[in-house]
Amino acid sequence: MSEAALRNIRTRRVTREMTAEPVERAQIETILEAARWAPSGGNLRPNRFIVIEDAETRRLIRLVSPGMFQEAPVLILICIDWEVAAEHHLPPSDRALLIDVGTAAQTMMLAAHALGLASGPVTSYSKEAVKLILNLPVSYSPEMFICIGHKAETAQRGMRAWKKISWRDLTHWERFQ
Amino acid sequence: MSENWVLKEDEAVELLALLITSARIQMEEPAHYAPMRLLTATERLSGLILERASEKSREFLAENMARIPDTHMRMSDPESYAAALDERCRAVAACLLRHSALREGEA
Repeated sequence: MSEAALRNIRTRRVTREMTAEPVERAQIETILEAARWAPSGGNLRPNRFIVIEDAETRRLIRLVSPGMFQEAPVLILICIDWEVAAEHHLPPSDRALLIDVGTAAQTMMLAAHALGLASGPVTSYSKEAVKLILNLPVSYSPEMFICIGHKAETAQRGMRAWKKISWRDLTHWERFQ
Repeated sequence: MSENWVLKEDEAVELLALLITSARIQMEEPAHYAPMRLLTATERLSGLILERASEKSREFLAENMARIPDTHMRMSDPESYAAALDERCRAVAACLLRHSALREGEA
């Protein structure tokens, strides 16, 4: 396995302060292409991605997103398209729908890091306000923003772990006794 | 009492948006996020009014509200977090007194 890929996984961090430097269109497309390859339950692909670069739209979204500390030049909103879910008879309670949001999000953030960009997920926002600002189709629900940009020099360290952990703390082998 | 206008209408609406959306999303967030949202609102309000604040308030805002304690500190060092907030509470009380007909020492 590629050591570079493993290093990319180990060194990615959530960034909450970004510069105003724009992100190249080709880089955004590379991130979206990576997300297209994220695992999806049943390969059904119920996610839709909305890219927001317009400054005023981003400003309005920040105003209704108390958890968005970044002033990122690019926002990617991961949505669930409930029409797609319904076509495949997935009930709203199907956890695979949210798991797909997670796999797409992590894949985007790893792709951004591989490109030398900073990223950070945001889920603390008013869904109703975001729907209205973006004029989302009624079948779309806004599930998670991924902020993409360049890390500010003043950026503080990410949220520290509650305690130091290793993979061993998270893992149990075989059956419980 | 000062009757300075320190907040523009757009700024007030933006702050209102932060407060009302914070109240809504709190229903799905851990309880300890609630003070973090209040502190975010405090920091934002302070930043908005700093430029137009009177001399009596500006020093207080610049010294005490520019970088307020966050929940990282609450998790890692709760005693220092409480002490830092207590310090800000004393500072805001002193600022209120400067704006009041009362004066420090008369309370």
